Amino acid sequence: MKKVWMFALLAVAATLSGCQSVQYGDATASETVNTDFGSTDLQMIAAKMVDDLLAFPPVVQITSQRRPVAFVDRIKNKTTEHIDLESVTDTIESKLINSGKFRFVDMSVVERVRQQLEYQRDSGMVDDQQAMIMGRQVGAEYMLYGNMSSIVKRDSSTKDVYYKFTLKLMHLETGIIEWSGEKEIRKSKSRGWIGL
Amino acid sequence: MKKWLVLLMLPLVLAFTGCSSSNMSAIEEQEDGTRATYLKSNNSLLYSRLGIRDPKTTMAGDLMRAQATLENRWKFKLDFQYKVKWFNADGFEIAPEGRPWTTVVMPGRTQLNVQATAPNPTATRFEIWVQE
Repeated sequence: MKKVWMFALLAVAATLSGCQSVQYGDATASETVNTDFGSTDLQMIAAKMVDDLLAFPPVVQITSQRRPVAFVDRIKNKTTEHIDLESVTDTIESKLINSGKFRFVDMSVVERVRQQLEYQRDSGMVDDQQAMIMGRQVGAEYMLYGNMSSIVKRDSSTKDVYYKFTLKLMHLETGIIEWSGEKEIRKSKSRGWIGL
Repeated sequence: MKKWLVLLMLPLVLAFTGCSSSNMSAIEEQEDGTRATYLKSNNSLLYSRLGIRDPKTTMAGDLMRAQATLENRWKFKLDFQYKVKWFNADGFEIAPEGRPWTTVVMPGRTQLNVQATAPNPTATRFEIWVQE
């Protein structure tokens, strides 16, 4: 009988340890580990913003004959969480570039671009005929900016989180907001009756 | 003693079932050709409980926009995820990781409009994939 017990225990131990394995998953799968801002929220916000922006009739008209140049300003984080909102705007920017409707200038690399252009001009290491010339960059016509806010409510058994992401497209010369989009997300988590 | 053995083996059985993943067979072909064209799933039970109505497209400039109405044919609520996939004229999926699976909860006998804009002007058709 002892042997049977040993065998059963061994099988349980082997099975449980076998379940602990690292696996790759679908990066676009719905993630609901907790109510904090997560990858699914990021992807849903980016998809909604790009869908709405590209389908808005005045924007369709603006982008029908040319690809306007824009830049992304920072998104103000008004939530209580630490959220990498640059990641959200990076995804939005990528989708807009890949749609073939907008072009972007990247303000986060301006200093490094200047250093490279100065190197090409002044170092004597680069063929003058092939050196990039300063002062020929294209100015952005539009600015994308916005903010993200949240409302968190909780009681002893439930936590409810509401996120609101707002994005605006402003024409830099006139200051007119050509488009504004919003995405709302509600997530709630309830404790089970045994407190888990 | 036998009871103890059964109790001991129970987690083993549960663990095995917990580790396995259900992999349903391919899409069940329906008489309704429209449904089979626009709605896809690898879960035959979910697929049988969902219907699709009025799939339509319009153009926003040269970008295709799609809309379809998902219908919960079951009398109980359905908790599932959907994803809109876009394809070009050659049948290649455009930006396969471009859209997330979106979770929805549909009460019994209700409808939900799903909309999406194509990622770029090469899109010519769309499919709505559903999974649990």
